[in-house]
Amino acid sequence: MVDLSTILAGFGDAFSLFNLAFVLFGVVLGQFVGAVPGIGPIMAMAIAIPFTFGLDPLPAIAFLVGVNKGGLVGGAVPAVLMNTPGTPDAAATAMDGYPMAKQGKPLKATKMALFSSVTGDTFSDIVLITVSAPLAILALKMGPIEVVALIVFAFSILAGLIGNSLTKGIIAAALGLLAASVGQDPENFTPRLIFGYWDLFDGLALPSVAIGMLAISEILHRLSEAHGNMRPAIVAKDTGNPDDRRVTWAEYWSCRYTMLRGATIGTILGALPGIGSTAAAFMSYAMTKASSKDPGSFGKGNIQGIAASESANSAVVGANLIPLLTLGIPGSVGAALIISAFMIHGMQPGPLLFENQGRLVYGLFGAMIMANFINLWVGQLGLRLWVKVVSAPESIIFSSALLLCFVGVSMATSGLFGVAIMLIFAVIGYLMASFGYSLVIFIIAFFLGPRFEKSIAQSLALTNGDLTQVLKSPVAVALLVLSVVSVVWFLRKNAQEDAE
Amino acid sequence: MKLKSKLVALAASAVIAMSAPAMAQDWKPDGPLTIQIGFGAGGSTDTMGRVLANVMKENTGWNIVVENKPGGGGVAMFTGLSQRPVDDKTIGMGVSIPVLVQLVQRGDQLPFDIDSFDYLGTVAKAELALVASKDAPFDDLEGLIAYAKEQGTLPVATMAPPQVLMMKQTMSTTGAEFNLVTADGGAEVMKLILGGQVLAGFGSGEHYPYLESGDMKVIAGANQARLSYAPEVKTFVESGINAYVDPVFFLAMKQGTNPAALEAISAAIDAATKAPEFAEIVQNAVKGDPINMGAEGTRQMMVDGLANAKILFAK
Amino acid sequence: MSTLADRISGLFFLLFGLAMYLWINPNFIETVDSRNIAPSTLPNIVSIVIAASGAFLTLKPTQHQVRNPILMAKTGLYVGLLTAGIYAMSWFGFEYVAPVLALAIMWLIGERRPLWLGLGVVAMPAIIWFLVTQVLGRALP
Repeated sequence: MVDLSTILAGFGDAFSLFNLAFVLFGVVLGQFVGAVPGIGPIMAMAIAIPFTFGLDPLPAIAFLVGVNKGGLVGGAVPAVLMNTPGTPDAAATAMDGYPMAKQGKPLKATKMALFSSVTGDTFSDIVLITVSAPLAILALKMGPIEVVALIVFAFSILAGLIGNSLTKGIIAAALGLLAASVGQDPENFTPRLIFGYWDLFDGLALPSVAIGMLAISEILHRLSEAHGNMRPAIVAKDTGNPDDRRVTWAEYWSCRYTMLRGATIGTILGALPGIGSTAAAFMSYAMTKASSKDPGSFGKGNIQGIAASESANSAVVGANLIPLLTLGIPGSVGAALIISAFMIHGMQPGPLLFENQGRLVYGLFGAMIMANFINLWVGQLGLRLWVKVVSAPESIIFSSALLLCFVGVSMATSGLFGVAIMLIFAVIGYLMASFGYSLVIFIIAFFLGPRFEKSIAQSLALTNGDLTQVLKSPVAVALLVLSVVSVVWFLRKNAQEDAE
Repeated sequence: MKLKSKLVALAASAVIAMSAPAMAQDWKPDGPLTIQIGFGAGGSTDTMGRVLANVMKENTGWNIVVENKPGGGGVAMFTGLSQRPVDDKTIGMGVSIPVLVQLVQRGDQLPFDIDSFDYLGTVAKAELALVASKDAPFDDLEGLIAYAKEQGTLPVATMAPPQVLMMKQTMSTTGAEFNLVTADGGAEVMKLILGGQVLAGFGSGEHYPYLESGDMKVIAGANQARLSYAPEVKTFVESGINAYVDPVFFLAMKQGTNPAALEAISAAIDAATKAPEFAEIVQNAVKGDPINMGAEGTRQMMVDGLANAKILFAK
Repeated sequence: MSTLADRISGLFFLLFGLAMYLWINPNFIETVDSRNIAPSTLPNIVSIVIAASGAFLTLKPTQHQVRNPILMAKTGLYVGLLTAGIYAMSWFGFEYVAPVLALAIMWLIGERRPLWLGLGVVAMPAIIWFLVTQVLGRALP
């Protein structure tokens, strides 16, 4: 175990002006690129890594953590203000954030996103700092069978988001899984459904599909509605009520259980590699909606919806570091890039990291806490700026957003091929939305699909195809029972809502 | 107007390019060079590739961008590389064995062969090991096989087709049964071993911290020679299973690249592999020294490797 | 009348699912002597689910109203424009196509004020060019 003097020395290292400057720079950069459509925090980190070569390990990694954390806050900005989430994990935030912005409360909505994001993030950081080792051991016990059960459970929670037609929800999910099966199959690595386009061998690129479906399809819709008399991209009609420009303490406090639930979901899913922040955000959103006394107000600007989504997706990022630091297992692409940075600086995350590099790890923890405060502070200033920016005429906002998405996706997928895929999925997304098929269910199925199929293949290999083996895992059985319960419950609830 | 001037510029540059064959020493990339890494972020190939790019950048002043193109043990990236137009600035970095095995197994379906590339050099050799948790009831490959026979079957994690083939070879040679679980890279193999879901699995460096901490032990070496860091452990071949892999990290460009560019980039790679900061990262990643076989040596390595893979891994 | 949209999309997915299952999956997925899960297993299952759900939706449609067809046609116009933009970029590069594309989009929206046009057509592409090629050292599409 690490002794107290190492911990204190580590925190002492972190709180220097030099590190503060790098964390600040990282957060500012992250918030900025997170908010620009088409470029997300992952892209920002990939670009930033080479700039950290010349730095000492602590400022280098603190800087990257700052970019990652800032990017999460920034990602909510276009989702709330324009309904065009730049990263898929902010899509759940758009569901209530955008209606709120349209009601003339853009600052209130973005500030709530900021506060709940930092709250969720801080929660998972505290879990990481205090109990990461035992949590990581628990996470190890989640084998392929348990992961399959967990994904089934995640899907069952999403039944709460399906809306008025179960059939259409199933089609959207099946289409997502079908899109996910493009590329090599998980067991034999054969090319599948690539139609001779070898660029697809690694699957449809995530940025192309997510940005096309969520951002470009919405921009296409908004373009078709635009006409000669120029409006701002958001109508920031001032309601005159100062409470509509800020989040009151009473409002924040009323979301405490929502944020606690979101942060817990995010922390658990973040500690288990491979599920990801998008599913966490939507699971938290669906659970919050289901447990609300007034589920009908969700999707129409309920502040609880923002709190649910942002607290969960931000908690994932801190919790992703639990398997990363203790076991060397990355839980997401962002975490993999941080491992890369560790290794470039000559450190191997894993069981001995705390022992060999304890001072550095606690320095990193110190930097993370610092980054949370800076996030809050920079966010307060930055949000005002962004609300100003999107009150520019929609002509310039949409044309610029399209160009940025072109460039961002082309950089993230190395070429125009990815941009073409993005446009194809924008059209598919537009048509699906026009005919009433849920885009978010498609996206989540697309995200979870590869992990789902791979875990099924692994489970079959481990059990020799004997499904009764599942009964030997209490965790899997419990999750599967919960899945059935939640599907039945959500369907009944939906039916009741329809009846009303 | 814009279009016209662009066309004029194009024509002009074409004339210049044709009339003055560039020399290697004054060749310079027009725009950023891209190193596409055939594996995801965070692995040993990724780490070495990024540091290599940085050292090359410091030495030459060229702008070098690193991208991850994971999939199929590098086959996705090399496939993409072989399908793009020659542009004198896109470099692929991968590992020889997964590519060679795919060529042997499904060469007729892949859109490339080893002649589709011009080779630049190598950076290191990888050592592949079969590892198990320290509590596993066996210490070597014979023990593992005996235990599998005793239990009826035994779960083993693999991360790429060559390892699957090695285990299949083990099954057909010894009659033991293994459940082969395909994992997403070495980190997941380690997770499956630590979680107790599998009893053994392949690691190409991800297991070093666990060897150091005593949580894992090496069961067998999968290379032709014994592992440099565990010389007392026998290889598959020494245990009577005629299969081995000798993965080499190498770099290549699309066949038909400007010879001046090839020569300049190859020289830059060679200089970078000699830099101490690169040697340090190679030591961390593969527990060995940088090895550059040079452009011609790399091609020979691929040709010999293919012949060898045909014997070892033909269906 | 009001159930027409669902009947159309249901019929489409019925045909799409069947086409995937009967023709595309068999032709574009390899068969291997698989160990646990064949490459075609998951795509086949979801194709059947899509076809069956499509059939069900055709028979039991909801009252979903599709978006205004005039707006959808206008969207088609923008899609065409963006497609042309991507195609042109593959020939001439971002720095030449982006201003033209931005101008076309802004003009179609109805923007005529020179100041805003100037910002969107000249300043934005220039800023993007500067950030990507000069600050980040990356290549534009």
